[in-house]
Amino acid sequence: MTLFLHEVRLLLRQRLTLLSLALLGLLTVAALAAGMAEVARQRAAIAAIPAAQAEDIGAIAAWVDQKKDAGSAAYYSFHATWDPPAPLAFAALGMRDVAPYILRVRALGLEAQIYDGDTFNPELALPGRFDFAFVLVFLSPLFVIALFHDLVSGEREAGRQRTLEALPRGGAALWRRRTALRLGLLWATLALPFVVAAVVEGVGAPAILLVLVVIAAYLLFWVALAALVGRLRWSSVANAATLAAAWLVLVLIVPTLANVLINQTVPVDQGAEIALAQRDAVNRAWDIPREATMRRFYAAHPEWADSPPLGSQFHYKWYFAFHQNGDEAVASRVRAYRAGLERRDAAGRALGWLLPSVGVQALLTRLADTDLAAQLAYQDRIRAFHARLRAFYYDYLFHDRPFGKADFDRAPRFASPETLSRS
Amino acid sequence: MTAVEPPILLDQLTLSYGPHRVLDALSLAVAAGSITALLGGNGAGKSTTLSVLLGFARGDAGRAAVCGIDPGTDPDGARRRIAYLPENVALYEHLTAVENADYLLALSGQRQPRGAITDALAAAGLQERAWHQRLDGFSKGMRQKVAIAVALLRAVPVLLLDEPTSGLDPRATADFNALVLQVRDRGTAVLMVTHDLLSAADVADRIAFLEAGRVRHEVLAEGPDRFDVRALHARFQAGEAQAAA
Repeated sequence: MTLFLHEVRLLLRQRLTLLSLALLGLLTVAALAAGMAEVARQRAAIAAIPAAQAEDIGAIAAWVDQKKDAGSAAYYSFHATWDPPAPLAFAALGMRDVAPYILRVRALGLEAQIYDGDTFNPELALPGRFDFAFVLVFLSPLFVIALFHDLVSGEREAGRQRTLEALPRGGAALWRRRTALRLGLLWATLALPFVVAAVVEGVGAPAILLVLVVIAAYLLFWVALAALVGRLRWSSVANAATLAAAWLVLVLIVPTLANVLINQTVPVDQGAEIALAQRDAVNRAWDIPREATMRRFYAAHPEWADSPPLGSQFHYKWYFAFHQNGDEAVASRVRAYRAGLERRDAAGRALGWLLPSVGVQALLTRLADTDLAAQLAYQDRIRAFHARLRAFYYDYLFHDRPFGKADFDRAPRFASPETLSRS
Repeated sequence: MTAVEPPILLDQLTLSYGPHRVLDALSLAVAAGSITALLGGNGAGKSTTLSVLLGFARGDAGRAAVCGIDPGTDPDGARRRIAYLPENVALYEHLTAVENADYLLALSGQRQPRGAITDALAAAGLQERAWHQRLDGFSKGMRQKVAIAVALLRAVPVLLLDEPTSGLDPRATADFNALVLQVRDRGTAVLMVTHDLLSAADVADRIAFLEAGRVRHEVLAEGPDRFDVRALHARFQAGEAQAAA
């Protein structure tokens, strides 16, 4: 039996070690399974879109076809957009469980539609995420503490340290070997289930390797901290208490305080406030003379200014114009909101260079395409699609062209980016 | 190692911790196949002497050598030639006697087959039924037998014993001394640090009295009675009194 196997036997005979590794393995598998189930649920929902969309449009088309009214077609038809999960999303759900990954939009005002979910998304955030990133960032340091707090002090307290160090391979080499073994076991307990899940999910080898390196680096940080505390030659209990306090500070308290500080330093509107402001602008438009609404609209969008004048009857082009005016009324707030979010995100990422827990979380959500940048990119795709949608319906509305059943087939189709290339 | 140099050699070794001089030009040599007992009160420098030989501490002046190797510059080289038994032999409670011996031998880089391990445990006087028992129920004497078995298997030229008989009953002390003699007869140089004058008189070929970091007096075993225990006791008490003063 090699010395390494001796150490393995010695370690695995300790009940605390076995229990710790088994529990970490269990949590890892559970987190991966939960992540995969969530991603599968999202994929299934996305896969069901075309049929639902066809059914939805089919129901409207029959009715629209009777009057050939483009306004009704634009008003009643919803068009689905979606953000398919990247292959690595199962490991770090990030914002995917609180921000919408499917959004059905109409050619009406967009901002209220985009930020509509912000009123109920915080409720989704309350239970928190249980994914691989959570297990790695928040829980794995506790297992490092369990396995490393008494690496040397335990031998000292048991009276074996001097005996061991008096052996030719029992000094620094012994502690290095034991450190490598414990680190390796923890790494394997996290990494092996992850690799299996990643292969099943079709994650590319470079992304898998990068995550494996991130796992090792994060564990190494905590092992180094445990070694540093161990050098103080305190008791095992004192080591454990010190490391637990460090975990509390580095993983919970400082990131939370930093988040509060960042939010206070970079104030931004709530998305729901923007949605409300846009709706207010739209509602106020009912009391504004229609001509004034149209003048404002044509000034901003001269390409539709050749449209025939409004008659005395209700016309959808006026309705859509004041919706778009409403969007434009909050445009500066939308830009400020986005800039604020990006500044907060940048500050958070900068903090990640100082706080490994924050850094690892940010890196994993970036790799998994589930961070704020991914969410904003999806919003950009929605905005681009919505612009095409408006242009399509406006052509009928502002030129008084009849809209028949067959015209629905010419409506723009949302195209999601190729997800495989993003992981 | 020169042809005449003994396996354990301390030559004018001086070591201080801050202003406190722990070893003061200590000179001591233990020849192969002999047992030297180093007696002294608390703070006389006994444990520090062992620490120097094990490479845990380095002298400020003078020389220490284990089989010609300076443990200060090559601790692993020295430790390859040393078997060390601390006062309380603490082994792994959740391993059996055989597994403990197996592990310690692996750590020494001197693996042995299971048969050789059980033979050594038998030679050390550990009953067969205890070979495959976990150590959590072992007495100090039984643990020492496991450690001695490891020392026997390692066949190293130097055995360092730190208060080996403290806490042992007379029967266990006699058993242990018999084992140490067995090791000595294989040609091992044994240095035994102890408070136990009677045990030292029983087993040692030479008794050195350490006082304030220096050997003040040495007595060699002579004749059938080996040592005049009364005289040794008087000498020991005088040393203790001086140290206390």
